[in-house]
Amino acid sequence: MTSTTSLPIERPRKAIVRVGLVEDIDEMRQSWRRLISHCRDLECVCACATGEEALRELPACRPDVVLMDIYLPKMSGIECTGRLKILLPNTQILILTVAEEHDMVFRALEAGADGYLLKRIRPEDLRASILEALSGGAPMSSEIARRVVESFRQKSRSRDATINLTSREEEVLVLLSRGFSNKEIADQISVSIETVRSHLKRIYEKMHVRSRTEAVALFFSSPDGSTST
Amino acid sequence: VQRYLFILWLLVCVASCPSKVCGAGAASTDVGNPTLAEEWGVGSWIWTERTFDKQTCQFWRAFDVPSTSPVGKARLRITADNEFRVLLDGRVLGRGSDWRWLSDFDLTWLLPPGRHVLAVEAFNDALKAGVLAGFRAELNNGQVIEFCSDDSWRVVPEGQEGWENRKRAKATWPAARVVGTFGVTPWDTLPRGVTVLPAMRPIELRFWQQGWFQIAVLTICGLALLLCARLLAQLALQSKARNLLQHERARIARDIHDELGAGLTQLVLLGELAQNDLSEPSQQRVQIGHLCEKTRALLSSMDEVVWAVNSRRDSVRDFATHACKYAQTFLANTNIRCRLDVEPDLPELPFDLPSRRNLFLAAKEAINNAAKHSGATELVLRIHRESGWLAVAVEDNGAGFELSQAGEDRNGLSNMSQRMKEIGGHYKMVSAPGAGCKIDFRAPLPRIRSKFLSLRWLKRFRRGSAKKQLETNTTGPVPHTV
Repeated sequence: MTSTTSLPIERPRKAIVRVGLVEDIDEMRQSWRRLISHCRDLECVCACATGEEALRELPACRPDVVLMDIYLPKMSGIECTGRLKILLPNTQILILTVAEEHDMVFRALEAGADGYLLKRIRPEDLRASILEALSGGAPMSSEIARRVVESFRQKSRSRDATINLTSREEEVLVLLSRGFSNKEIADQISVSIETVRSHLKRIYEKMHVRSRTEAVALFFSSPDGSTST
Repeated sequence: VQRYLFILWLLVCVASCPSKVCGAGAASTDVGNPTLAEEWGVGSWIWTERTFDKQTCQFWRAFDVPSTSPVGKARLRITADNEFRVLLDGRVLGRGSDWRWLSDFDLTWLLPPGRHVLAVEAFNDALKAGVLAGFRAELNNGQVIEFCSDDSWRVVPEGQEGWENRKRAKATWPAARVVGTFGVTPWDTLPRGVTVLPAMRPIELRFWQQGWFQIAVLTICGLALLLCARLLAQLALQSKARNLLQHERARIARDIHDELGAGLTQLVLLGELAQNDLSEPSQQRVQIGHLCEKTRALLSSMDEVVWAVNSRRDSVRDFATHACKYAQTFLANTNIRCRLDVEPDLPELPFDLPSRRNLFLAAKEAINNAAKHSGATELVLRIHRESGWLAVAVEDNGAGFELSQAGEDRNGLSNMSQRMKEIGGHYKMVSAPGAGCKIDFRAPLPRIRSKFLSLRWLKRFRRGSAKKQLETNTTGPVPHTV
């Protein structure tokens, strides 16, 4: 939320949220742009057609949130997410998908995304999701939570403790995977809903860090070091 | 008188074989072969035109055994100066290397009706050479076949292939020449004796040694091989067809997803925009809102169709994902909390389309029933593996009911049992008034699990490494457009 600090008159929550958009189909991009602009408190500051263009254009626009289509020509949405997250670490990136493809979504989350949205989302839900993502962790579906738990359990043996989940974080994930909502989790473990969100946010961050350290390891292990970032 | 007789006999003996010196030899001959005195049963000495040292000569003689009566007794006596080897119908009968001893072969068992061939290979070491032989066969009906070494034998020139088996002599084979009469110079000494050889039996071939059997076995083997090849080809075809089917299913799923899904999503967006443009609440706005909702519903059912069709979702894991998602989405619109209890790390066990679809629809029926009738506040969906079964339980904390009254009036129940029966599974319902309701579904998991698992692991490993390669690639995979 770096951009909101530059507007000291308005309180952060009331500020206009600057939204970036990456979508390759022209018609869809225009529709999304209009739809975002129609929503209260949202403003579409940049709409890009490709991942390459997004990496070029978006940093200058300093968006608070980026909506990223997962299937893009050439550079995929997942890779673009990973690179963009390095350029704009404070920007929340939400993945847009036509259907819930958990494999792709999970990979995008690992790469640096902070949540995902179905393209068929209702405008009011779109606004709510974006605001929620900004105020902490984006909601996580039970299926994704299950995968996150599994992936941390699988890999935790060989990793250092700083990027492992704390027991509280794992508890939150397990409850999520069992179908609890954020509010129910808050009740269950007697914390505020904000705390639950901050837990989620940290879980996302750990995933990103972990995947980045993996990427670095990959970079050093690959014979021609030019391939990964 | 006896003593005189003995001396006389001795004198006769000495007189009759003056060239032989060894008295003991003469004595043994006389003692061992009392039949000698009767008849020698041989013909004349025969040889070829020329005689020289270190000469090998081949003699051939055919004879017929009539089919009127079996052979009662048959023998061949033969000797040669200096050595011989005798064959009957190509089978070696024996050898001899001392012309003073007659070899007596018993051929009684070797002569079925038909033509037979005697072949003699004789070797002359030095000086005079000759072959002496006689054959006599008595048939059971009294008929006698006799022949002996004379000019009816043929001399086979060297270098003839298979001559010892030939039923007919070649015209170019010259007749044997009689070189001396039996008992006359130069072979004026009578044989010292007869070496009687044990009767030879025909070589009996066991059934597995016989040609017809071997041919039969070979034929059967050949047929079996052919059959195997055919079956293998069929299997290959089948697996190819199955692969093709899976590919096609994946393609159809992708097409639906890409084309229809993208189009419908666009429709939703356009509808929302149109709705926004009509800022005032109006009839059109409501209708466009309906349109959007209908389209969203269409997208949801499309998701379900894609899930069912997509062969890449043929796994237990994907089943669990889909069932949980359905329960959550469906119950989100009700007052029932949805709780999930899914076994962690469900493997990607294969779970074919009919199984996962029927099991899903059965569970869906149970969830719908609970939402409609139970009045519960919480529903738990459990998915676990239990020794070769996939167990899915739908539990609610609602009003419950008397099982005996549930009966047929609940349409869902017969549906469920039908679906579970189709996939070889079963279901069990536990309920009582005030105690909620629990329905257990069990579907069999594939038996050859470990094998499949290992293959899957291999595939996953391969896919994993392929994926890594893709990830390390800067341009990344070119995804299909949405």
